[in-house]
Amino acid sequence: MDSDVILVIVIATALAFDFTNGFHDTANVVATSISTGAARPQVAIGFAALLNFVGAFISISVAATVAKDVVDAEVITPTIVFAGLIGAIAWNLITWWFGLPSSSSHALIGGVVGSAIAAVGVDAVIAEGLVGKVLIPAVVAPVLAFLVAGAAIGISYRVVGRQRPGIVTRGYQYGQIVSGGLLALAHGTNDAQKTMGIITLALIASGELGAEADPPFWVIASAATAIALGTYSGGWRIIKTTGTRIIKMDAAQGFSAQGAGAAVILASTHFGFPLSTTHVINGGVMGAGAGKRLSAVRWGVAGNIFVAWLLTLPAAASIGALTYGFTRIFGTGALGPILVTLMALSLVVAAFARRARQGAPVTAAGG
Amino acid sequence: MIATIVHTDELLQTIAASVIAGVGVTFLFSLGIWGAGQFTELSRGKRPVAATAAAVVGVAAMLCVAGAVITGIVVMTHK
Repeated sequence: MDSDVILVIVIATALAFDFTNGFHDTANVVATSISTGAARPQVAIGFAALLNFVGAFISISVAATVAKDVVDAEVITPTIVFAGLIGAIAWNLITWWFGLPSSSSHALIGGVVGSAIAAVGVDAVIAEGLVGKVLIPAVVAPVLAFLVAGAAIGISYRVVGRQRPGIVTRGYQYGQIVSGGLLALAHGTNDAQKTMGIITLALIASGELGAEADPPFWVIASAATAIALGTYSGGWRIIKTTGTRIIKMDAAQGFSAQGAGAAVILASTHFGFPLSTTHVINGGVMGAGAGKRLSAVRWGVAGNIFVAWLLTLPAAASIGALTYGFTRIFGTGALGPILVTLMALSLVVAAFARRARQGAPVTAAGG
Repeated sequence: MIATIVHTDELLQTIAASVIAGVGVTFLFSLGIWGAGQFTELSRGKRPVAATAAAVVGVAAMLCVAGAVITGIVVMTHK
């Protein structure tokens, strides 16, 4: 009975995490399309939500990595997964509060690794998977997106440089409908799969699935729905803030940035690398900016992203470990996770209420 | 040891695919826009043969873009 309660809490928490992931990342997916006038906000957000949903169904490689290649599924319990999720959510909330750009994906993996170490020891972590499939791609992917977008915009300007601006702008604006769609598809497939992987890990840990099982269809469908709903809900906030937060770029830069981001995320997803989609998209935007003029890039923002990236894994891991320790005070039953859930909900509500009163801008913590 | 931890082949394939798709598709799409621009200019200048050639280049480039996008999605769904 207790294990069923914990499993339900884990699944609900994972889907809530997925919803917030879509909510936060809407800005990354639709920002350039709206900024360059390629699509109206309502259309861009609806389109992004739909393609996030579709994207979640096209691959399960990343879900398999999260479920089987980062921690040893045979020694994991649903409470460990729960503590990891709380570690990720708490770190996202902290970075959101202080306006630091962070990666939900790295927070999720860090949280689960931390709680697993606290519960079982370092043997629970599959070092090869963590380093080879998470840490190294995490460094390579944003740099790759930066370089690809920089090269792409350089080539674009060279090819269309002598054409009339009107036809060039209109052409790339049409192109952004496709590149923005691909980016939304890529986001859905990489980010929704992390939630699928976590739910699958919890199902394996509770004995509902075999150790080598793939995510069941209901897991895929619910993760797809949660991220799509989050994307759609988050979008309405973006409509109001897009004009002030986004660096103005031309349509060719938007196309290059989105194309580079989509290419890197889709290629990485194919090989099961769970990336920070936020970092990749930011890398693409910076590359498209640098390709035109190096000083166009906000290098300070790049530095903040780097610092947040360095902090995310250990911080989320520490919170995950502490959460696991706290739940164990109340034994191995459902009482600990229930209390932590109630405390977390109270903190989230209090944080949102205080931010709403202060009216401060919210910085996206992304995937 | 490092070679077994780093998934070198998969990482290199990811880099190659990203460069080919990201830079290649942008180049082809730009070529499509160039073709459309040249077609308009040359048509106005009463040069129908050159305008048609530019249009053919532009349309071929756009077809390649469509083919690349479809191929990418098909590859993604078949693993």
